This record gives sequence, C-alpha cells and structure tokens, in this order.
Amino acid sequence: MFSFTKEQKVFDISGISIGGQPGMYPTVLFGGLFFKGEPDFHDAKQHLQIFYERSKQTGIPVVPDFFIRKIEYIEPILSFIEKVIPKKQPFSIDIIEPSLKIQTLEKLARRELLPRTIYNSIHIGITKEENEALKTYTPEAAIIVAFNPKDKSPDGKIEVLENGAHLLEAGLLKTARDVGIEKLLIDTAALAPGENSGAAIAALPVIKEEYGLPTGCAIHNVVEKSRWLNDFPFAKKTVDVASNNTIPLFGGDYALFGPVENAELVIPLIAWQDILISEYTENYFGISPAASHPRRKLLK
Amino acid sequence: MTDEYYPWGGEFTACAVSGCVAVVLLNIQYSPPESVAIYGPLKTENIGIEKIIANTISNPWIRFLVLCGDDIRGHRSGSSLIALHKNGIDHNHRIIQAPGAIPYIENLKEEAIQRFQAQLTVIDLIGEKQKEKIDDIIAECVRKAPPSFGEPYIAIRLKPQATVTLTDNRALHSRILIDYLGKIRKRGT
Repeated sequence: MFSFTKEQKVFDISGISIGGQPGMYPTVLFGGLFFKGEPDFHDAKQHLQIFYERSKQTGIPVVPDFFIRKIEYIEPILSFIEKVIPKKQPFSIDIIEPSLKIQTLEKLARRELLPRTIYNSIHIGITKEENEALKTYTPEAAIIVAFNPKDKSPDGKIEVLENGAHLLEAGLLKTARDVGIEKLLIDTAALAPGENSGAAIAALPVIKEEYGLPTGCAIHNVVEKSRWLNDFPFAKKTVDVASNNTIPLFGGDYALFGPVENAELVIPLIAWQDILISEYTENYFGISPAASHPRRKLLK
Repeated sequence: MTDEYYPWGGEFTACAVSGCVAVVLLNIQYSPPESVAIYGPLKTENIGIEKIIANTISNPWIRFLVLCGDDIRGHRSGSSLIALHKNGIDHNHRIIQAPGAIPYIENLKEEAIQRFQAQLTVIDLIGEKQKEKIDDIIAECVRKAPPSFGEPYIAIRLKPQATVTLTDNRALHSRILIDYLGKIRKRGT
C-alpha cells in the first residue's frame, strides 16, 4: 500500500470523484457493454440495474463503458444512454476506429451528452481529424492509454505520455490538454502475457508518483489473453474477477472490467479491497476515507 | 518443433514443417488443411503483425501468406499487414498507408521486414469466409511447391536499453524510493 509524495489530483466527473491518495476515494469501476455481437439493450438494461444497485449498496462508484463497433450502433446506443443511464451520471464510450469516434463526438454534442462523457480513449494512434473533432466537441474527461509499442515497461509508458515516444509530435498529456481536456485518466495499457503484462500494474504507482493523475487499467484483458486458463474454466472466472484487485492494491484509482455481467462479483470484491487499503492508509498515513467510501458504508 | 521453427511463440497451430503456406485468420472460424505450415488468428495491428513476421521468416519453406475472414474493426490488422508487405515502414516505424489505429512495428529490425517482403507472397482474401474457396486457393499455392527461401531468419526481439539498477532501498521502480511500510520517501534519479 502506498502514499505518494506528489500531490494527487481528484477529478469530479459528473458527480463521481476519482483519484487522490490511496484510501481516500473508492476505486471507480468501469463495466464494459456491447463488446460482442449486436447490442442487446434489454439484457443491458437488466445488467445495469444490478450494476447501479451494487454500487449504491457498497459505495463503489460505477461507470458504464459502451463499446461502439459499427456506425449503425451509434444512434441506438446514445438513445439507450439517454433513456437508461441515470441523469447526470457519467458514462464512457470505447471506440477504436477514428472515423467512428468523430461521428460519435458530433452526435454526443448534439444530444448535449458531452459533459457526462469520458472519452475512451486517446492514444498514439490519434489522427489529425480526431484531434480537430475533440477541439470542437470536447468531452468532460478522457482516458489516455500509455501504450508504447517500442517499450512496454513503466519507463516506456511515461515516455509516450511525456513526449509521444517520437511517434507523435507531442506527448499524450499535452495532446489531450491542447484539445481542452483537463480531466485525464491514465490507462497503463495492460498487454497480453509475454508482452510484459506485469508492467501495467507496476506502472500504476510510478505514473501516480510522476504526474499525480488518476491511473488505472483493464487488467482483466490479461486474463482473457491467458489461453492456458481455458483448461481451467472454473478458475478462469475467479482469476478474471480477482485480477481487478491488483489495481487498488498498487495504488490505482480505477479498473475497467468486462463484461458488465461480472459486476455482481467485481463490485463487492473491490469494496472489500478498498476497506483493507483504507484501514492501513488511515492508520499509517492519516488518509481519511471519503464519506462515500465502502469502509464508512459497510463497516458500522 | 514449434520452438525451433517459430521462436516468437503466439496463438497458432503448426502443421507441415515444410509446408509453403501460412494462413492468417481474421474473425473466422476455419481450420485450414494439414498441408499448410502454420495458421492462427491475427488481432492487433502492431504486436500481432510483429509475431506473424517473426514466425514466418523463421521457416524458409513458408512462401505464401493467405489472409482470410473479415478484417478486425478499428484495428484493421489484416489490411495493415498487407500495407506492411507492400509499403514497409516509415522513419517513425509506422506502417506506410496502414489503415489500423496504432500500426507501429517497433520490435523488429528493418532487415526482418525486408526479408518478410522478399520471402512471402501475400494472398489477400480479406472478406472471404467460404471454406471451399479458401481451401482451393491454399491447394493452388501448395501445388506450386516453391523452393525454400534458404536459411531461416531468426528475428531478434528489439529491447529498450535497460536503465534500471535495483538496490535495496528501491522497490517496483528506479523512480520511486519507498520504505518498508509503503511510504514513498522521494523520487529516484
């Protein structure tokens, strides 16, 4: 468990606090939807109900992360967000293709949803057109993926944030700030086993100490890519859920997990982990947990 | 055999050692005939492509690279691989004219890419998902039975220069000096 010397920023994103010294605010959980096949809105609505219920019970803040794969899914997914996500609650949109990102930003602006949007994500593949679109339609916050294809170590991740690793004209942090986004969440880019997967976790305290920005990652992706676990189907689920624990334990502020169906398991697990961390960090570092912290909510 | 011929490892199936065809599967459930040398899925337009290059030039018998199935949305990994074969990389190691999101080749020497371009002929079947059609084209390649390209090329994975020297008072990283209770005392040099 850690306490950092660098001042730790806390961002309020549409009512959710993220960042700070470990033990201060609960870990924020992003739950992924619509990664495979056609979006099933009926199913998603039910899962989101549980997602928000468990959040309310435990104090763990949650953000639905909508994966948009095709142009024809943009409008229905945005309509679903307007209809189903509680008003003023934040959400994130996860899109790979730059042209789709641009079109989605335009549509989010038209629906006046940008103040609730966490843009997932800005990375070294950012195009000029995407950059311009972000200037015009600026989301409330953005996830900055510190993926450096030539150096997957924590140093390589810092390099890409700092100077773009010479793959971009400027570092990712400056790139994001130049388009007008101040609320930056660093993603340490969890890679497959064999590609220095552990660096995503080791980089959490390093990046927090370096920049003081909220930091996390999608560590469960490493489990998904651990093919040997397919021989242990019963354990695989446990490992997938438990992998998220490593993020708060190493000082991280948020975890992206998926699919959202796992919320039933992941949310109480992270609440438990946050309580464990808070007990130590308050006793040794004097960090008082926020009023919404699971330790205040669940330990009476 | 796998380790000897395909030293970079990855998610693939090795079949005929002296087969002349490697098959790249893009969003497709398809098992090529046993006459091919190797087949497996491609997902990412950077690390995934690097593995395909390293694991094909290491076996000089492989002369054809067949890409089939639907390209990966956003990543456009199949099209990026074709762009690499056609155009190579620029001074920033970006695949020239690749449509993928992050098409960078950072862990291979340019020499390895040139070898890949020279050794392999790319058969672009992106969009094709019919087993019979893909089987026919593979069979046609196998019938051509081209000679081996010569010596195997074992690509060295380029590594960043190590800058970290661990000492007793450092944990996790050279930038962080930490005490045994978890208090970060100051940043390293």
